[in-house]
Amino acid sequence: MTGITLQNISKRFKTETAVDDVSLAIQDGEFVVILGASGSGKSTILRIIAGLEVQTSGHVYIGDMLVDDYEPRDRNLAMVFQSYALYPHLSAYENIAFGLRVRRVPREDDPERLRRFSRDEIDTKVRSAGQMLGIGGMLEKRPAELSGGQRQRVALARAIVRDPEAFLLDEPLSNLDAKIRSNARIELKRLHARLRQTFVFVTHDQTEAMTLGDRLAILNHGRLLQCDSPDRVLSHPANQYVASFVGSPEMVFLEGNVEPAGTGYTFVKEPVRIPVRGVPRMGPVTVGVRPWDVRVERSSSPSAVPARVTGVERLGSSDQLFLELGAPSSPTVAPTLPPLPVRAVVRSYDFNVGDGVFVSFDADRALFFDAEGARLDSMSVATRLL
Amino acid sequence: MKPRRRRRWARLAKRVASHVILIGACAFALFPIYFIVVTSLSTLPIAGITAHVLVPSPSTITTASYGTVLYHLSPNFLTLLTNSLIFSGSSAAIGLALAAFTGFALSKFNFPGRRTFVYFILLISLFPGVLLVIPFYFMFSSLGLIDTYLGLIIPYSAGAVVFSGILVKNYMDSIPDDIEEAALVDGLSRTQAFFRVLIPLCYPVLGLAAFLAFIGPYTDFALAHVFITSNNLWTLALGIYNINSTDQGAQNYGLVTAFAVVMSLPIVVFYMVFQRYIIGGLTLGAVRG
Ligand SMILES: Nc1ncnc2c1ncn2[C@@H]1O[C@H](COP(=O)(O)OP(=O)(O)OP(=O)(O)O)[C@@H](O)[C@H]1O
Ligand SMILES: [Mg+2]
Repeated sequence: MTGITLQNISKRFKTETAVDDVSLAIQDGEFVVILGASGSGKSTILRIIAGLEVQTSGHVYIGDMLVDDYEPRDRNLAMVFQSYALYPHLSAYENIAFGLRVRRVPREDDPERLRRFSRDEIDTKVRSAGQMLGIGGMLEKRPAELSGGQRQRVALARAIVRDPEAFLLDEPLSNLDAKIRSNARIELKRLHARLRQTFVFVTHDQTEAMTLGDRLAILNHGRLLQCDSPDRVLSHPANQYVASFVGSPEMVFLEGNVEPAGTGYTFVKEPVRIPVRGVPRMGPVTVGVRPWDVRVERSSSPSAVPARVTGVERLGSSDQLFLELGAPSSPTVAPTLPPLPVRAVVRSYDFNVGDGVFVSFDADRALFFDAEGARLDSMSVATRLL
Repeated sequence: MKPRRRRRWARLAKRVASHVILIGACAFALFPIYFIVVTSLSTLPIAGITAHVLVPSPSTITTASYGTVLYHLSPNFLTLLTNSLIFSGSSAAIGLALAAFTGFALSKFNFPGRRTFVYFILLISLFPGVLLVIPFYFMFSSLGLIDTYLGLIIPYSAGAVVFSGILVKNYMDSIPDDIEEAALVDGLSRTQAFFRVLIPLCYPVLGLAAFLAFIGPYTDFALAHVFITSNNLWTLALGIYNINSTDQGAQNYGLVTAFAVVMSLPIVVFYMVFQRYIIGGLTLGAVRG
């Protein structure tokens, strides 16, 4: 049980920079999810922690031990690979026992000297890990004879028996089909609660990240953009990339301008107008609103904009509406502006394609970004006060 | 109804045709072996393609040639066999060990000039071995290795490494790096991971490589003929060649063919034992190029 610290880690392959100056302190017992699109350097970071890849610069600490020069086997970490990387020639039992057979531990009577685990010790450990993961009955099978879900458990069991300093998991759920996957997610979370060990989990699936992580570390092009709790990442994304990457369905962005209006300022993107307070940034600004903060109503209200429903996506417990703002609520009226596409999440079956509606924004929760995508912290929406 | 029936006929015709072709190919490949076996069992001093030889009757079958081959040759058959097994066995063992390491290095390590080296090896393997006999002779005689076991084992194993090294490399390329890395994280050193994970996974290709590394020296004549002068180091290949020069062997195809049959037995046994691996290695090699 130990924390892991990355200090200014960079990794360059010939021409491209896979990891760019990443610093991250993972606490003892924490479940940290490294989240990023494909090619953002997630696996590379995990491999650097494991010692399978050597960083170009920076330092890795396990606990307070500097491990830059340690071979993978001396780091005592456990890793679950996306492919599971089970040994195809060995039974599930032998796969799990493999690490124990080569491992040496201090002797009880003389801690200066090392000994190997006895057969019985190995057997006990393997069987209890198998039991914990519900694969006790299939330990004699070879990996080829196991289903994807079972393989994944064998890989987890192989990690658990070794009682490592920390667990590194590289998209371990991505090869499972949707149903097993959500189960596996819950089991993994439970396992973490039970083991209370440090987990570093890599994924490109933001739902997975949100449900699993104590903290999310969001990567883009090898850079660490933000590392915060799921709630915080959702409500206070560091920039527009994080805002769009996290949260499903994706955030709605409106690119417009901040203009003086009366005594204050207003964000304008015709036909939408949102009053602004704080220290406004003039000129081009992007407003981001979560689709569930977009209100859709049948009847008009002040500040609501007429719109038409152009598409409905059934999400299960809710619907995502595709809307065109400014589209006249009645087809007979000629449009004055090109319609502005927006999305909203509403209760299932409330609206249908073609409905004329009125849209307003839960402006309290809107976020502002500058032209480069950085969040404008000092700006907020002036709600109804003006 | 009609199209379906037509399709069934087409399938049947295809099946018959493929069987006919395969049986024909089989007969073509097996006929020489059959011919050698029946000749070795005939009494004719000089064989000819006669019905008499091709379709033997119980009254004409004799195992006399086998008796001569096994008991009345000089040097005797057992010496020849022992020598052949020593040459082939040790060359296969050494060649295989080196090929495993070569394949491992070429497949799993990144070092400058790796690709060039692979191409270089492929280029070398294009040269027919016979070309090397003369230069090898001068080299080895100046080293005092002519007419010794070592003098043949060295070039034989070297030949095996060149070919099998590439074979093993190609096979190891198909084993995902993940698996080796899992072993490293599991607490193994690179060497341990090689012996405990990669080698067991490579059994099929190693079986094939061993078979090829064994057959090469076992059937080699050119190099052995030049390098070996003493009778007591003769191999089977030299023995069969020299039957002709003995009194009872001159032009006696019964003897030569009986010798050939006995000589091929160890290879057949070898193949039977490792068949599972060899076929696996062949097909995998074929699929992965
Ligand atoms: N061994 C390597 N040699 C050269 N480039 C590499 C190597 N490994 C990774 N890269 C590059 O580094 C970048 C990051 O790769 P990495 O595997 O860490 O991405 P990832 O975030 O894990 O992506 P994915 O979600 O697809 O697994 C990629 O652009 C990749 O091409
Ligand atoms: Mg990856």
